[in-house]
Amino acid sequence: MVRDIKTVLALAALAFTFGVSVYAQDSMKHEEKAKTLATGSFHGKVHGTSGRATIYQKADGNRVLRLTNFKTSNGPDVHVILIAAKDADDNANFLKSSTERVELGILKGNEGDQNYEIPSGTDLSKFQTVSIYCERFNANFGAAPLEKF
Amino acid sequence: MNTHVGSWVSHRKWILAAVGFPILVAAWWAFRPEKLWINQKVNEPAPFASSTDPQPLYTGRLEGKAHQTSGRATIYKTPDGKQYLRLTDFSTSNGPDVHVVLARSDEANLTKEIVTGQLDSVELGSLKGNQGDQNYDLPASVDLQKYNAAVIYCERFHAVFGLARLEQF
Repeated sequence: MVRDIKTVLALAALAFTFGVSVYAQDSMKHEEKAKTLATGSFHGKVHGTSGRATIYQKADGNRVLRLTNFKTSNGPDVHVILIAAKDADDNANFLKSSTERVELGILKGNEGDQNYEIPSGTDLSKFQTVSIYCERFNANFGAAPLEKF
Repeated sequence: MNTHVGSWVSHRKWILAAVGFPILVAAWWAFRPEKLWINQKVNEPAPFASSTDPQPLYTGRLEGKAHQTSGRATIYKTPDGKQYLRLTDFSTSNGPDVHVVLARSDEANLTKEIVTGQLDSVELGSLKGNQGDQNYDLPASVDLQKYNAAVIYCERFHAVFGLARLEQF
């Protein structure tokens, strides 16, 4: 009987330990001037694309895509677009024409840090991947799937 | 006879040139081969003033091992040179003696749920909460090239609750 009670108590203690949630709420160690919404790394074998894509929301509510540590091959008519896909395959070099996309602008440089305004009203839960995209040949130079920051 | 052949040859050259030159121009326009050797570098500043803010150095998503774990781990560097790990969007299961540590992402132990032997790690402190945003100061001399994974680790049972492989931000 005593053993039974002890067992019950032990189980209750275990359940308590694992069942109770403890919330922590440390604030950032600085005032955030822009909120980081999502980020991801570029991959792209054919055209050697690497670096990071991050989406920030500025204080005025506008969203900006920023590329950092960025490198891709130079090429003709290269654009930065958001596509409605979880990712773009390295081997699937060409985008399907049915892939929905949002144009952000012509690639400013094939190396270096750069910013692109995101049109207001763009649904980022739908357009989840950044693609460096050569319009002339419908080629995906590299892609960065974005995840919540 | 000779002049006839000569004019025929030069005639054909003219046709070749007339057809070939536009094809060459079109091919150049389409492929822009010189761009293979010409880099176009840009260096835009961040879209907000950030020189006085902590800079993110490494980041990664948490994945669950022994217990369901999710969220993001990011290492920031403050302007005075101090580094800290910040968990955001974070959730794991509560448990006894749970710690936040940095470990080597290539360590074989981290592919398992339960660590056998000793986990090569850098202690950051006891887990403050199993949910919510939280900061952990890093020791001054930690080698982040080597210890490139943030691990939610139960010391008592050597259980890896979850881990995030950190990539350069």
